[in-house]
Amino acid sequence: MSELQKLASPREDYAYAFLDSYAKRELRRRMLKAIAIPGYQVPYASRELPIARGWGTGGLQVTLALVGPESVVKVIDQGADDSVNAANLRRFIARMSGAQTTTDTLKATLLQSRHRIPEEVMGEGQALVLQVPDPEPLRAVQSDSSKSHQMHADADYGQMWLVLYEQLVRYRQVLHGASYPSLVNGRYVISPSPIPRWDTPKLHQAAHLTLLSAGREKRLYAVPPYTDVYPLEFEDVPFQVEDQREWADQHTGARHKFMNEMPQPEGGAAYEISDTGFLEKLAAQQRGQASTIGSTYYDDQGNFYHNGYLKPPVQPED
Amino acid sequence: MYVAAKGGENAIQQSERLFHALKGEITRELIHEIMNTLPYLVDRVMGEGSLYAPELAAMAIAQAGGDLYEAVLLLRAYRSTQPRLAYAEPVRPETMITVRRISAAFKDIPGGQVLGPSLDYSHRILNLDLLDGMDSLDPPADPSAHNGSAEMGTSANGSSPSANAAARVYPLVADWQRGQGLLKPTAEAQPRHGADIPDVTRDPVLFPAPREHRLQALARADTGGVLALGYASMRGYGLIHPTVNELRLAHAEVNVQHPMTGEIFSAGRVRVSQAEVATTGGSKDQPGLTLGFAATLGWNEVKLIAGATLDMEMSQPNPHPAHTEEFVMYHTEPVEASGFCIHFKLPHYVTFASSLDNLRRVISTFYAGEAAQPSSLDAMRQASP
Repeated sequence: MSELQKLASPREDYAYAFLDSYAKRELRRRMLKAIAIPGYQVPYASRELPIARGWGTGGLQVTLALVGPESVVKVIDQGADDSVNAANLRRFIARMSGAQTTTDTLKATLLQSRHRIPEEVMGEGQALVLQVPDPEPLRAVQSDSSKSHQMHADADYGQMWLVLYEQLVRYRQVLHGASYPSLVNGRYVISPSPIPRWDTPKLHQAAHLTLLSAGREKRLYAVPPYTDVYPLEFEDVPFQVEDQREWADQHTGARHKFMNEMPQPEGGAAYEISDTGFLEKLAAQQRGQASTIGSTYYDDQGNFYHNGYLKPPVQPED
Repeated sequence: MYVAAKGGENAIQQSERLFHALKGEITRELIHEIMNTLPYLVDRVMGEGSLYAPELAAMAIAQAGGDLYEAVLLLRAYRSTQPRLAYAEPVRPETMITVRRISAAFKDIPGGQVLGPSLDYSHRILNLDLLDGMDSLDPPADPSAHNGSAEMGTSANGSSPSANAAARVYPLVADWQRGQGLLKPTAEAQPRHGADIPDVTRDPVLFPAPREHRLQALARADTGGVLALGYASMRGYGLIHPTVNELRLAHAEVNVQHPMTGEIFSAGRVRVSQAEVATTGGSKDQPGLTLGFAATLGWNEVKLIAGATLDMEMSQPNPHPAHTEEFVMYHTEPVEASGFCIHFKLPHYVTFASSLDNLRRVISTFYAGEAAQPSSLDAMRQASP
């Protein structure tokens, strides 16, 4: 080896955590802006990654800009750690960063998720990165992004209320599914990932930081810790989470957690807790094995941990 | 510590192994075969990948088993990590080594119509002889060898057209039109450093986009996507008939400044192509011709004619909804469009469950105790945003 070679650093095909430092710097600046203006969609350049676009590259860029060798990373898709795309993203993050990985929400410092927020209450110092396909809550009423940008600037959300009202008139109830439009910090309406309505209240006054990032659409936004998040609702027609009160997990018998409904050959359905990390710990505890389960957003009777935030459902009038 | 979460991990690795097992082996010879025998395929991938690297593009094509969207993604994902070492000098069409330059706007133009390499006037007949046992295909016969027609350009030995060599410089058709007062004179361009030019791969995209973003997006755009939207404009949803003012295939020098000596030198040559379309039916407040322009790395004529037409459409005051800048730029992005399309293979059972919950509430509100009426439900599904 020549003297010159000894002086040079060894060849590395990619930067630490894949993104070059300019990309990381840009992302970190955009994240700071997003945290400073809760719910505001911050445009960013969005680099191509060795993962297909639309498969979590927005969340992945945020994760790669935050991850360090000391991080403990959890990745879920539909609540499951072993879902094929979650496994692939986790494998990539670990390979590029050397970070530890976990399936335990309580142990994770950095949690990337598609479509779910875990059942156990996340705490200060934890960051939740949500993958977002469409960051624009106004898309259904205004597809031109320069116009919807103006509407956000003016807090012009009248058309969103109108959509809710029309649903009420036609169907006697609000019909937004996942990604229920919500007002952050009393200012910006966001499209929350698409997480189910069950998870939307978990963003309100949360102890953890939530970053939402859309790679294709090149926008990221944040719900900082201890920020108000309220789903759009009329005073007399309260927001409702999915009604799964009658469903019990087939393995543990647990209720009042978000469930997967699995059609059965004979016509009925079986139910299973969607958060596999939580389910695993619950099952281990029932088998008498040691496992530390944190407090959950919804208790065993289905009460949400912020008293009075969720109101009892109002039955549609005939 | 790395937690392998049960089945998913193993499944994805086996799936990738099976994909590679079902296609042939990749060798260095194969990569060079692809480069040499399929240059238009390599060009298309380089153009959409926006990285001029024939060997890497051929590698990407081979590695993806010929799946072009995968190949473009491979190239893009590599490109996105590469540092900017230098900014090249602008390439001027007059100084490119032009091998094909045609204009549909005039019978003849200064510098001449140069057909160059093209399949445009070939008979599209499969050469089945090769499959029937012939060792290799003869190239098409050289017509000048038989009739010695001066029109085609003959030299002493009868096979090389060098005696009737084409012009070295091809003046722009648009320059002639400017001289005739048919086109507005070009505004004097202020010299700019390359780093100051907006870059669609490094800047957030906002609308209205700077013209640089638009042209860069067209250069990187999906050939099929640009063709679909461009064809829609040409066929009847557009306002204007595109006349090909000038189409060029060329080799361009990549001239960069030496960091130490300050000398400008050529770092290599790249294949480039550009198309300019013109219309006489532009905006009312501008009496002259209106131009549309597109250029890309590699030779890709269909994409550029469609792209230049879209450029012209996007500049109109009230374009068709499918020809607005936002619509064109977002929906012709190959990596994003293909990625999002195939992402629907991913599980969506959480969001589906959330909608199903709504559906059941409506059923119980309107049809409690009776069987659901499918026709009414259809109406309800459509109403849900």
